[in-house]
Amino acid sequence: MNLRRASWLFMLVATVALLVVGVVRESGPLTQQDRIDAIAQRLACPTCSGESIYVSRASAAEALRAEIARQVAAGQRTDDEIIAYVEARFGGQVLLVPRATGLDALVWALPVAVLVAALAALTAAFVRWRRRDASLLSDDDRAIVAQALANNDD
Amino acid sequence: MKRRRVAPIVSALVGVVMAGLLVILITADPPQNADTFSPLLGQPAPAVVSTTLDDDAFDLARRKGSWVVLNFFNSTCVPCINEHDELLAFHAAQQNESEPAEMYTIINDDNDDAVREFFEKNDGEWDKVRDHDGAIAVSFGVARVPETWLIDPNGVVRTRIAGELTTGLLDEQLADLRRQFGS
Repeated sequence: MNLRRASWLFMLVATVALLVVGVVRESGPLTQQDRIDAIAQRLACPTCSGESIYVSRASAAEALRAEIARQVAAGQRTDDEIIAYVEARFGGQVLLVPRATGLDALVWALPVAVLVAALAALTAAFVRWRRRDASLLSDDDRAIVAQALANNDD
Repeated sequence: MKRRRVAPIVSALVGVVMAGLLVILITADPPQNADTFSPLLGQPAPAVVSTTLDDDAFDLARRKGSWVVLNFFNSTCVPCINEHDELLAFHAAQQNESEPAEMYTIINDDNDDAVREFFEKNDGEWDKVRDHDGAIAVSFGVARVPETWLIDPNGVVRTRIAGELTTGLLDEQLADLRRQFGS
């Protein structure tokens, strides 16, 4: 039983460790094309429905990709600054990834808050059920179980 | 006993969250009119440096001192063709003004020959500016043509009209703006 628990614990620790390493590790220097593609994947095509400018062949998407390429080649703006430049002209609807500030932050915070609340409620419910189950046994019940176990040993 | 205490607390919490979301919904800014709104309104116009169809240099910053009309155009776009008579009438009316607005066509995703052919056939004695790679369209946030923009003599963006111009709309808009911001 202890060995089983230990192996589950080991798997949990290993999974968390791999996830953490995957998220925080340095991915190495990006090429200019990598940067252009990464930015293009974060922006919606203004004339299409639900497509990023990375996949869209619309002329507006092509013009935006060309602008991103120009700005990346100029090397004067970060990825976030280039996205802010596009947002300042086309509006917030071109952002495929919602901002983590202001009201938009609710999109990120609410699911986490609901998950935490649900886990807390489940934990509280399990604890209560366990207590109630334990309290359902009377002394007579316990005596019967003890008697049965004793008979079984014989 | 304990259960009786938990249920009202949970209900109250859910109620508070719902009320909070309702308040946010009510107090949030109303959606902007997509045909006229732009984050650039009231801001200095983006830099526009290019060449005209006649191969002359064009720099929007040098146009300061008069009202400027930029019309984003493509010779195959039906609303652009439909509104052409309106632009001709506006341009003709401006020539009678003491300080006429300057008008420019910004060529959007089109080739020089097609644009030349269109204007030879349909008139329009104003400069047509090339837009390499759609850089000017992106700097103004133009995704579809036609779009018409009005820029004041100080180089500040004042009006955006997305879609086909209706009769007299451009004259009315410019007259209103001249009253508000001077000529």
